[in-house]
Amino acid sequence: MTIKVKVVERPMEEVSYLRATAKGLALTFKHLVDPHKVTVQYPDERWDISPRWRGTHRMLTTEDGKAKCVACGLCPTVCPANCIKLVPGEDEDGNRYPLVFEIDEFRCIFCGYCQEVCPEEAIHVGRHYENAEYSRDRFVYDLQRLMEQQHGVCEMWDPSDPKGE
Amino acid sequence: MTAPGGHQLVNLTIEGRPVSVPAGTSILEAAKTAGVLIPHYCYHPGLPVAGSCRMCLVHVEKSPKLMPSCATAVAEGQVVQVHEPRADEARKGVLEMLLINHPLDCPICDKSGECELQDFTYQEGPAHSRLRDPKRFNAAEDFGGDVLYVANRCILCTRCVRFMESVHQDAVLNVSERGDRAVIGRTEGGDLARPWAGNVVDVCPVGALLSKDFLNKARVWELDRAASICTGCSQGCNIMIETRDTSVVRLKPRPNPDVNAFFMCDHGRLDYRWMNRQDRCAAPATGAGESDWDSAVTAAADALEGRRAHIVASASLDNEVFWLLGRVAKKTGGTVAFAVPTGPEAPLPGARDLALRADRVANATGAGLLGAARKDDPFAGVGPGDALVIADLDPAGVPVSALEAAGAVVWLGTVHPGSLSKLNAALPVANVAECEGTLTNLRGRVQRHLQARPAPGMARPAWSALADILMALGEEAGYQTAEEAFAAMAAAVPAFTGMTYATIGLRGAVVASSAEGAP
Repeated sequence: MTIKVKVVERPMEEVSYLRATAKGLALTFKHLVDPHKVTVQYPDERWDISPRWRGTHRMLTTEDGKAKCVACGLCPTVCPANCIKLVPGEDEDGNRYPLVFEIDEFRCIFCGYCQEVCPEEAIHVGRHYENAEYSRDRFVYDLQRLMEQQHGVCEMWDPSDPKGE
Repeated sequence: MTAPGGHQLVNLTIEGRPVSVPAGTSILEAAKTAGVLIPHYCYHPGLPVAGSCRMCLVHVEKSPKLMPSCATAVAEGQVVQVHEPRADEARKGVLEMLLINHPLDCPICDKSGECELQDFTYQEGPAHSRLRDPKRFNAAEDFGGDVLYVANRCILCTRCVRFMESVHQDAVLNVSERGDRAVIGRTEGGDLARPWAGNVVDVCPVGALLSKDFLNKARVWELDRAASICTGCSQGCNIMIETRDTSVVRLKPRPNPDVNAFFMCDHGRLDYRWMNRQDRCAAPATGAGESDWDSAVTAAADALEGRRAHIVASASLDNEVFWLLGRVAKKTGGTVAFAVPTGPEAPLPGARDLALRADRVANATGAGLLGAARKDDPFAGVGPGDALVIADLDPAGVPVSALEAAGAVVWLGTVHPGSLSKLNAALPVANVAECEGTLTNLRGRVQRHLQARPAPGMARPAWSALADILMALGEEAGYQTAEEAFAAMAAAVPAFTGMTYATIGLRGAVVASSAEGAP
């Protein structure tokens, strides 16, 4: 069975690609001379991230280099993703401290509740986004790793807006 | 109208709810029956009333001032208001005063999460402190025994002082110093290394008296709890087994006025590490090595076939287990025997019929009722015609001579049998924290214990393993749950007639042949 195809006769100026090509190239050449740049030349250039950015964690330390954490257990309790493992213990001075403190950054949803709930201002979410690793198990950050992080930490609310708190 | 005990009933209204309680009840206790918790610190139902903390102040209509509800008896037609502006204001004031010197170190305090100061401050306390002066500081002090005293957190409710004075009747603690320097002190040379002194940790409403054993181990809100029975002695104190990530971290007394009031002894309290032991029997085995349950049960039945069962059991096993062991013995013409380790008896003078008993096993009474014999040497008389069945004993306690004399050996244990010189079948079973069951205390009270943690590996409750062996021997024993096994036992043994798990509940029920309170 043959199929009848209706062929629409259009004028030449509509079916020609020349006009569209010229239009596209005009935009390309416009950007070539336009001083407004969108692309960031990473890693030579980086974007400024918000003071409220919530990235991978960091544990703050006291002046003598110990973790501020007292193993109170509030962060594993509040964590909605259940990604913090904490086993409390006692150090040689009888002070409470975390024997094990691990955060599984894969499970973390970066809500920042751990920082908000911490009574000692010890655990923080970081202003940091470069997390690439060569193996999956490197994404479970232990206490040592969390203390070694040097990046900035999140301001939970905009400091210029006191009502935000 | 009179109450069952012959007391006159008094009708009153608490928070708009009508309540009828026996005359002489305090308003605080009456409120509990109406489901109203009046905040309190110095009051504890197991201790004499002090009326010193002023936290339980309530408004009683037609009374000129607020009344301490712990020390005020109910009266006919009383109208009590707990949440009323004047009473709320008074309690808020009390809380503000208590918090003046309280360090608010909840993040590192073990009591956090079950602290009454924390709870009531959240409920109705002041949101901010008006104090600008530094707080008082006192160093923590080791009180001996299992108790650590953190003076900073103490609110001087004197519950611990009254416990030691009136219940333990060994007045080691007192309030030393006066005014804002007051702390709990010990008498000259006195310490809390006493059999029941650990209860001061439970009566303390704040984190001032802490268990050194539990110190910094876990946060209380992470713990899972299961009602159970202490197996430290034949008293059968009701307890809560508290677990963190399936390992038992502490035992707490569970109130039962018929058995242990509100208390448990330190011997029982600290005797929980065996529940977590790692050298457990986790896989069934036959003489040839590890196997599956079917082969091991067949091997056990083969070992018993044509031999008399000489059963030696731990007297802390459940009633259901002793009944099934008795049936195995009856089927094969054998005997069930158990030994009872003993220790010094340590009574708690201020409580009725409560002591750390000399018999340091939980179910000697139940074993006796179910036909097992108490013997000094339960392994004596094992001969070549006997199949030695060892139920829940330590392999170190099994004499080699008995193993060699026996015709066959069946191991039914929580602990790995190790390298016994003779072994026909080993069946891994759950311990008391890992299965449901009942125990009978020395007064004949049958009490249930629930499962607190999973059993290791392929281990099964002992009643389930024994039921399989009985069925392999051609007996009727198809029980799916501990409740079914208990129901079958109640139908067969006169002492347990009429009992079910539902009627025993969590308070226990006394067996038919023994009157409670009789020696």
